[in-house]
Amino acid sequence: MNMQARQAPQVFLGQDTPARVFRARVAEWGEAPALRRKARGLWQTVSWREYYANARAIGLALADLGLERGDIVCVLAENRPEWLYADIGAQCMGFAGNGIYPTSSAFQVHHILDDSGARVLLVENQEQLDKALAVRERCPRLLHIVVMEREGLRGFADPAVSFFDDFLARGHKLAETRANDFEAAIDAGRPDDLAFLVYTSGTTGAPKGAMISNANLVFQMSCAPEYLDIEPGDKSLSFLPLCHIAERMASVFNPLAVGLVVHFPENSGTVMNDIREVAPHVVFAPPRFWEKMHSAVTLFMRDAIGPARWAYGRALDLGKPQVEARLKGVAPPPLSLPARALRHVALRNIRIFLGLQNVKSALTGAAPVPPDLIRWFLSIGVELREAFGMTETTGFCTATPKGGIRLGWAGRKAGGTEISIGEADEILVRGPNVFVGYWNNPEKTAETITPDGWLRTGDCGAIDGDGYLAIRDRIKDIIVTAGGKNITPSQVENLLKMSPYITDAVVIGEARRFLTALVMIDQEHVARFAREQAIPYTDFASLTRAQAVIELIRGEVEAANLMLARVEQIKDFRILGELLTAEDEELTPTMKLKRKVIAQKYAALIDGMYPV
Amino acid sequence: MLLEVRNLETWYGPIVAMQGVNLKVDEGQIVAVLGANGAGKTTLLNTLAGVIDPFKGQVLFRGEETQRLDPDAICRRGMVLVPEGRQVYPFLSVAENLGMGAYARRDRDNVARDLERVYGWFPRLRERERQHAGLLSGGEQQMLAIGRAFMSAPKLLMLDEPSLGLAPRLTREIFAIVSRIRDETGTAMLVVEQNAAVALEHGDIGYIMELGRVVAHDSCAALSEKADVREAYLGGGSLVGESGTAQRWKRRRTWR
Repeated sequence: MNMQARQAPQVFLGQDTPARVFRARVAEWGEAPALRRKARGLWQTVSWREYYANARAIGLALADLGLERGDIVCVLAENRPEWLYADIGAQCMGFAGNGIYPTSSAFQVHHILDDSGARVLLVENQEQLDKALAVRERCPRLLHIVVMEREGLRGFADPAVSFFDDFLARGHKLAETRANDFEAAIDAGRPDDLAFLVYTSGTTGAPKGAMISNANLVFQMSCAPEYLDIEPGDKSLSFLPLCHIAERMASVFNPLAVGLVVHFPENSGTVMNDIREVAPHVVFAPPRFWEKMHSAVTLFMRDAIGPARWAYGRALDLGKPQVEARLKGVAPPPLSLPARALRHVALRNIRIFLGLQNVKSALTGAAPVPPDLIRWFLSIGVELREAFGMTETTGFCTATPKGGIRLGWAGRKAGGTEISIGEADEILVRGPNVFVGYWNNPEKTAETITPDGWLRTGDCGAIDGDGYLAIRDRIKDIIVTAGGKNITPSQVENLLKMSPYITDAVVIGEARRFLTALVMIDQEHVARFAREQAIPYTDFASLTRAQAVIELIRGEVEAANLMLARVEQIKDFRILGELLTAEDEELTPTMKLKRKVIAQKYAALIDGMYPV
Repeated sequence: MLLEVRNLETWYGPIVAMQGVNLKVDEGQIVAVLGANGAGKTTLLNTLAGVIDPFKGQVLFRGEETQRLDPDAICRRGMVLVPEGRQVYPFLSVAENLGMGAYARRDRDNVARDLERVYGWFPRLRERERQHAGLLSGGEQQMLAIGRAFMSAPKLLMLDEPSLGLAPRLTREIFAIVSRIRDETGTAMLVVEQNAAVALEHGDIGYIMELGRVVAHDSCAALSEKADVREAYLGGGSLVGESGTAQRWKRRRTWR
């Protein structure tokens, strides 16, 4: 157990549990908008008061099923207001939340339900219900399932399954007489109670449930104003999976801290449109998302009319000295009035195209960030700040302060926490943001948290004189070549991923003479390239085999090699011929290639790159 | 190689109906193109037949580019379309309709031989030789449309949904005859179909189109084994899930 968190009481708004902060915020903001969801093309608003009433209804209905404090309530759904009602309603009642990725297979769902001992599961629709029903026999602790959407389930009846609207109505009915139970439950919460579990995606082994306490959350809420420059009523879009700690913090707790209105996209396919419509004030996304924005603009400009291309290119060129000056921390050279006007006209439209015209806090993390990406965003007037965090630190634990970008560094630690560098350059974190431990897994907990409260992050890195943290790689992933050179593969992989044609790559080279890579191509962009070049292809596999596509990727690999030291260069590569989805074991739920699985599954392909 | 389609792209005004389509038909092959409504199958055939000009790409028929030719020129070269919904001449007799198919031909002896062949494959057309084509049943009209197309001595017959509006038994009958025509005359067939089961059964090579693009391509035998094809086209889609209700959700298809 992590004792550190218990020692220092954490307080935000004079409250020491998130549930009490929630109640205080609802009293303060009442009718102000809290959530908006797009349904059938229209944005529908939920006020803080309605949010609270719905959370209370769900909380009471859950308690009415016979749940006790500390019981686990799982949600298996895409991001939507019901997710939040269930999650925060459960937490107010003293139950613990737990999200499951909607892309999970039935097998994965079973693991999480069984491992967490979930009592109630809320599922989105028929698809997710089918997974739950397939495994419920093997989940003896599971009492009840609630389904959010009725579509396709007419005529379905099961005593242990109810529909969300009925469940909510029952809760509202209960609230008429037992609203005090809800208030009492909020009052009964303690700082060291479990708030929720987050199952880590686990690139090796089965996912583990990280326990996040109330105190962790209250501390993180008290830090949020430090890195989020936001006023109440500013907007955000909830588009990353809510099961992930980053989105959970961004959509549930940051809004409590700083008053964001959280917007839910129509579905995961409409995110780029919705972001344009919402024009959020804060965006957190992994580098991959920002890269997609960058390549969308690059490809769009290639098809644009000549004057637009000229204006865009010229505006970027004019901005280059400014960007470099900002990165060096010196005063930018002055620009002439026409240059400023050109930049304003050209780049404002780019920002509007991306939905970033209002953005005050643009943050990225969760994977190394290519420096050129940050340069590009700076030059279009978006300060993309790098942060570092993980599930085990309840989200962010370092962030780049506003105006303080340093390429390759992920910012400074939050006040009240400690960071140091341990053996093998491992980054260690201590403080009230460090999680409690792994659910039912004292061995793993002991491996991860040292007796004196330091969290071993498993990442290696460095801290500079100003307290900036740099992350090099996962310690486990470091490659030692046959020549004895230590290579940090993620750095190489990130250079490859900067290409719009490469979605992800895995660098291979452990005990080998040289490095090679397995590459997953971006279907959309490569297919577009193939059409433009009139390269015949039919399905995905034939696209990956086309000689011109192989040459295209070779060109991208060689371009990356130019930026790498000799030992780090990729000597050969293969393109994965199968179109993978999040249900495949090769990918994490966040669509990253799993190094170990890839190395095993494609062993023959890899060996082919190392002639004897 | 009889027909080779390279990177074909067709627009209807501002809307792209078909993009980056690559396809091949060998001599004597039956090639099936499958896809849902709006996938771009008919656009493909109409573009090949010269009814629509493509925006981009090439059509090589017997080694020569045909994508800019008029429909009649393409037809004369031996690429003949049997359009969707038959479109026989309702006020001409069956025999006259068949004669229209041979309108451009000068080799009278062979025309007579081909007419006999058509009557051999479709005895019912001989029975109704003098009847107005508009009075035929849907299946007979389809037979007539195929027969008429065959009368123009095609190298490649392009059939646009021959099963449209027909009973399952008639559909099987028509496909059996399509196979027979190929076997007896060596005419290649490019068949666009929604009835995937019958098309995959009779075809050699299959292509699957979605949203104007080819998403899968393999031998028909291999395609019928793919899980995504079974689910989407071979009736595997009417699954009953764990909840005991008809499955409404769709798996994300990768066509692998």
